[in-house]
Amino acid sequence: MDAYLAAITIIALIYMLLSLGLTLQYGLTGLINFGHVGFFAIGAYTSALLSLQGVPLALSIPAAAVTAGLAAWPIGLISLRLRDDYFAIVTLGFSETVRLVITSEKWLTNGVQGIPGIPRLFESISVGIGAQLAVMGVLLVVTLAAIYAMRRIVASPFGRVIEAIRDNEEALQALGKDPARFKIQVLILGSALAGIAGAFYAHYITYIVPDQFIPLVTFYVWMAIIIGGVGRVSGAVVGTGLLMLFLEGSRFLRDIVPGVSEVEMASLRIGVVGLLLVLFTIYRPQGLMGDFTKR
Amino acid sequence: MSLQVSNISKAFGGFQALSGVSLEVPTGALVGLIGPNGAGKSTLFSVISGFMPPDEGSISFDGRSLDGLSPAERARSGLVRTFQVPREFAHLTVRENMMAAAPDQTGESLVGLFFRPGKVREEEQRLAEEVAEVIRFLRLERVADQPAGKLSGGQKKLVELGRALLVKPRLILLDEPFAGVNPVLIGEIMERIRELNGRGIGFLVIEHDLEALTRLAPHLYVMDQGRILTQGAPDAVLADARVREAYLGGAV
Amino acid sequence: MIYAQLAVNGLVQGLVVGLGALALTLVFGIARFPNAATGDTMTFGAYAALTVHKASGSLVLGSIAAVGGAAVLALVAYLAVFKRLAGRSVVSLLVASIGIGFMIRAGLGIAFGHQQQVFNVPLSRPIRIAGLAINPLDLQLAVVAAVALAAVFAILYLTPIGRQMRAVADNRDLARVSGIRPERVMTAMWLIAGGVCAIGGMMLGIKTVVAPEVGWDMLLPIFAATILGGIGSPVGAVVAGLVLGVAQEVSTPFVGFTYKIALSFVVLLAVLLVRPRGLFGRIEGVR
Repeated sequence: MDAYLAAITIIALIYMLLSLGLTLQYGLTGLINFGHVGFFAIGAYTSALLSLQGVPLALSIPAAAVTAGLAAWPIGLISLRLRDDYFAIVTLGFSETVRLVITSEKWLTNGVQGIPGIPRLFESISVGIGAQLAVMGVLLVVTLAAIYAMRRIVASPFGRVIEAIRDNEEALQALGKDPARFKIQVLILGSALAGIAGAFYAHYITYIVPDQFIPLVTFYVWMAIIIGGVGRVSGAVVGTGLLMLFLEGSRFLRDIVPGVSEVEMASLRIGVVGLLLVLFTIYRPQGLMGDFTKR
Repeated sequence: MSLQVSNISKAFGGFQALSGVSLEVPTGALVGLIGPNGAGKSTLFSVISGFMPPDEGSISFDGRSLDGLSPAERARSGLVRTFQVPREFAHLTVRENMMAAAPDQTGESLVGLFFRPGKVREEEQRLAEEVAEVIRFLRLERVADQPAGKLSGGQKKLVELGRALLVKPRLILLDEPFAGVNPVLIGEIMERIRELNGRGIGFLVIEHDLEALTRLAPHLYVMDQGRILTQGAPDAVLADARVREAYLGGAV
Repeated sequence: MIYAQLAVNGLVQGLVVGLGALALTLVFGIARFPNAATGDTMTFGAYAALTVHKASGSLVLGSIAAVGGAAVLALVAYLAVFKRLAGRSVVSLLVASIGIGFMIRAGLGIAFGHQQQVFNVPLSRPIRIAGLAINPLDLQLAVVAAVALAAVFAILYLTPIGRQMRAVADNRDLARVSGIRPERVMTAMWLIAGGVCAIGGMMLGIKTVVAPEVGWDMLLPIFAATILGGIGSPVGAVVAGLVLGVAQEVSTPFVGFTYKIALSFVVLLAVLLVRPRGLFGRIEGVR
């Protein structure tokens, strides 16, 4: 396997973790989280900073998950009090505020200049393609574990309840079940996944800056699950694949078609994401994989 | 006394939706609540079931005050409500809708689901049997594994009833069980309600369709413009001129 | 004294936020969804004004172009997208509006590039009034904003279509039953919202810079102002915008330059959790 393919696979698996987290929150439970990238950032910075202090990655990555999950707890409490569109706006504000804090607290995060030299996974063991394949292997295991866990959840009574919350929250209350703890758990779990994704991201690209954690990333993930099929684990997988096709495809295009600058391609990407969001919302809200049914 | 509603008032902005409404549903009784559109019947249900706080008055169920309790807490104490426009879990199958209703499932906690799979499996099996029985009782076998959102209005109402049953309620607040249902199914639903009432479950039924409700309920309350107009046996109530006036606007 | 100076500095910023919030509150109150494309529509207005100003040297022409262009843009967005989503969930409309905002931003980025541009307006020395330094440019911008606001409020409160718009915002079902044609109200609303965005965007561009993200970056303060002022209250939106703009500037000595934007988030959260209807709003379902 060549280095390029390994690289794409690694990024794809990172996005897959993000998609799985968002599928749990929105696809299954109906929570509109527009701040997903904020937890991605928290995970990335937590693991980066800890590892630079000498903490081994085997500890810093789980720590990233825990920190991101904990940060989701107040967001979960807020979700209980707000209608879904207001919650969406608040989560968007949250992720932007996270980015703001990262940018401002230079003593901690080095501000706009970012954190270079983040240790890689398997740094001491090997270099080159071997290390990359090893990273890919670890990520694959983690992602498969996440997919397995999600499918278990979907087939379980817990999964039933959260889908009931998505379909009709008041009816569930009228049957004696309080949605609160489910919503909070789902937000924590989904955000922990985003935190893990962030940690792997940091240790892969080794240099993180606040500008990598902008809302566009959140909406890349939204686009992936909307196109792939909301509410289905298979949809998250398919959608992520299509997202990678889109991101890499646009890069290829730029290499082939002359006269398109990097920034123009960036604009084009934003435009296509916007167009796809609009088109799928109007014409095929259930995505490519179809309805919410679990199969 | 099962349900005691005392002097409930509720206003929205300038509009007085309920004024001093009081009623009682004895344990295991089948009581009807009728009245023209806009009389405040559904609002009363929302207050009783805890979805809206009253401005004044109190409600008690089986001797316990319900004041301040959330809808979920009220349901857990045995008071379950259905909705006028069916609120099925559209993307879950009929079977899943009902399985979701049963209380105290170990599999509903993440810890239980991942660390006690054997117990969860066992509970699911027992639950599946219980749900199958309810489905048989409601004659929903044919559609049991279809997404509930695809059912007809009447079938959705049966699903709501089935869900309510799985909570093992002592009193069900039925909100317009016959509205928009085809006449054949109305008879079915009525039969089911009678059977359940025979087993000891109380009912407070809102219905706009006078004819249907008078066949079903031995005791009726009549509401108009947020107040209780009168109560009594169906014949007496229907003979009451005030009731006719409320429905027909004065024409006799 | 320094606070008074900061407050004055915050006035134009406050007007920009207030105009954006006005556009947002109109759409929120009448079409009943949060339009996340508001910020990018403002950016569009800024670029339109900039282009025409560069070509003609006239800010008046620039603002006419901005208002006209943005109004049409908003109307097209309604006809092509939002109208087709009528009756769908608020979330669908919100996601679609994010998509539209992205498309506007992409188009501007491709057409004009990403580097910041500025309006070629003559630098002027601040004049002193009551011991405070006031930039004549700020005064001019404030006058422009005041004129725009006056026009909008005149439409809303003195014309039949404005009355109809307010009726729909108050009680949509009652409005429909009383024969108000929703099509006309929507058209008017989107045209006005677009125009208001244009003025706000142009002011922002003149006061700071013109770049593809400037409008989007204003979304958080704009949302905060809309909710603080009370959804559906045009007066509330403008007042809240001014309050936020001034508060942002006045808080700078305490919280530092970057964090003053975080103030919007705090205000947003606080209002939604403590007093959802804001200052002047009706009791709307936030929960």
